[in-house]
Amino acid sequence: MKKTLKIFLKLLGVLLMLFTGTFLIYIFNLDMKLTAAVEPWLLKHYDRIDRDRHL
Amino acid sequence: MAKEIGKDRLGDFYKEGSKVRKRREWRGVKDTLYDYSRWLKIMMTLGKFVVKPRNVKAMLRYRWMANYLAVPMMVDRHTQGLRGEYLRMCHVEQDLIIDDVAKLLDNLFRGDRRIGNDTEFSKKVVLVDENEMTAVMMGFPTLKCLSRETPSTYVSVLLNQHAAEHYLDVAAEFGLATDVCPMPAAEAGVSIDDDAPVLGACAIQCNTTCDGSLLGNGVISKRLELEDGVPVFQLAAPLRHREDDVQEYAAQEIRGAIAFVEKHTGVKWDWKAYFECAKRVNYATACRQEWLDMNRTDYPQVFGSNLALYTETNYMAICGRVEDFEKADRKLTKLANQAYEKRMRAAKEYRHRAIVWGVQSHFYMDFLVWLLNCWGIVPLTDMLSMVSTKRIAEEDTPENREQAIYDMAWLTENMIMRNRTHGGYKVLLDELWEFTEQFNADMVILWEHINCKALDGMHGMFEDRARELGIHLVWVDHDLFDPRIISRQGVRDQINLYMRTVMREEPIDPSLEVLPDDESW
Repeated sequence: MKKTLKIFLKLLGVLLMLFTGTFLIYIFNLDMKLTAAVEPWLLKHYDRIDRDRHL
Repeated sequence: MAKEIGKDRLGDFYKEGSKVRKRREWRGVKDTLYDYSRWLKIMMTLGKFVVKPRNVKAMLRYRWMANYLAVPMMVDRHTQGLRGEYLRMCHVEQDLIIDDVAKLLDNLFRGDRRIGNDTEFSKKVVLVDENEMTAVMMGFPTLKCLSRETPSTYVSVLLNQHAAEHYLDVAAEFGLATDVCPMPAAEAGVSIDDDAPVLGACAIQCNTTCDGSLLGNGVISKRLELEDGVPVFQLAAPLRHREDDVQEYAAQEIRGAIAFVEKHTGVKWDWKAYFECAKRVNYATACRQEWLDMNRTDYPQVFGSNLALYTETNYMAICGRVEDFEKADRKLTKLANQAYEKRMRAAKEYRHRAIVWGVQSHFYMDFLVWLLNCWGIVPLTDMLSMVSTKRIAEEDTPENREQAIYDMAWLTENMIMRNRTHGGYKVLLDELWEFTEQFNADMVILWEHINCKALDGMHGMFEDRARELGIHLVWVDHDLFDPRIISRQGVRDQINLYMRTVMREEPIDPSLEVLPDDESW
């Protein structure tokens, strides 16, 4: 019984941490701030690709 | 940080020089948790997409894929200030569209010779234009009807206002005229820049929008046919679509397109599948009519970008072929009825009832939400949502099989936008004034796409008639895909100027009047 309760509490703790973490990312728009930082790197990468450009 | 509609200063979320906003809105516990749960769902959709190595490979190959980094922000733009049923309606639509586009991308990259190179799958793919009714694919349930232009240009600009600029510059660099509509120009730019996935058993291009679109298609089909070996059918729908004497020709084009697909894929037309799709088309039409009826009352429910973006997708790109959209239609109607019964309103104050006409600025689709939140102007409906309401034949009988060819032709002729920009004086001008009366509108917001030759010639006629009827006509210039010509603030300034000088009004939310979003996605 104690073991089940322990597992339940651990699971609850993990879920609570996951919720807190993702909610903070959500409310402070951290996901978009991260992707905005990635974009310039990607654009430079595209400039380096060889392409068969023609009409 | 407010639960109540209109309490927040929405302009305070913007940051000078930043692509993104400072934070997301707090909408009260219930609505914030709902919005958060939908954000998690979007993250899971994106996660499922990224987990496939071929999609990562595509992300690193195609420049336009970088715009998909901004998917959650697009949703945030459209849900600005929304609460309760309005927030839910927006998510029902946006989440489904995101899911549908993710599937489209996944399929494109699966068949793409550069990425997944699944040749058996590619043989089942029929490429279609971005601006094309997909009615002609309703009877081919085993084939994949995919558009390359939809994710590379159309959706990209919805995600990131600057998405098309690189491709417009490429098209100009190769000598294409720079004073044409930026939509076909950008699509041609993608092809010239060697940035379009290569796949498919065949392709159907359509003259559905305008001569600019036809010219852009020429550039694309040259590469498709002569280099990639993908045969292309040109579906030329008549422009004078209200005339009886063009319908036989239009039907013949449909017969030709079906025969072409059968020849190149080896798959036969399936009438059972067609009539199933036809039932869903009729259901979507009935729902849209119900929403529009509500919008004629003092309590409009499905309006603004909730109406515009969804109608474009459901009517044209889906055309009854995807069951999930029928479920969404049902959910939206239920939410709208709930809100209507409660006499709900989406903003703090409704000051003006407006019809939005003309071709909207694509890089600023959330302008409709801004109109509502900043000035209390309710965009009851828009030109692109006023599409065909004709019921098509849905029972499989010998007579209806013949009628179905004419129905598909009718739908193709009446694609969004072209059903108003082509077809004569009545569909563009006269019917606008009929709608202002039916919707009891006191204002018309008239988009003037400065590079659209089809509409610009009517400027004076719009003004004359608005003056006669005593309707406030507000012109809003824009260049569709290119915010370097007229920026989002340039668009807003035209409304701000009219509202302050002619209407002598103050904004409901002054923080939205001038926004530092030039650098924003």
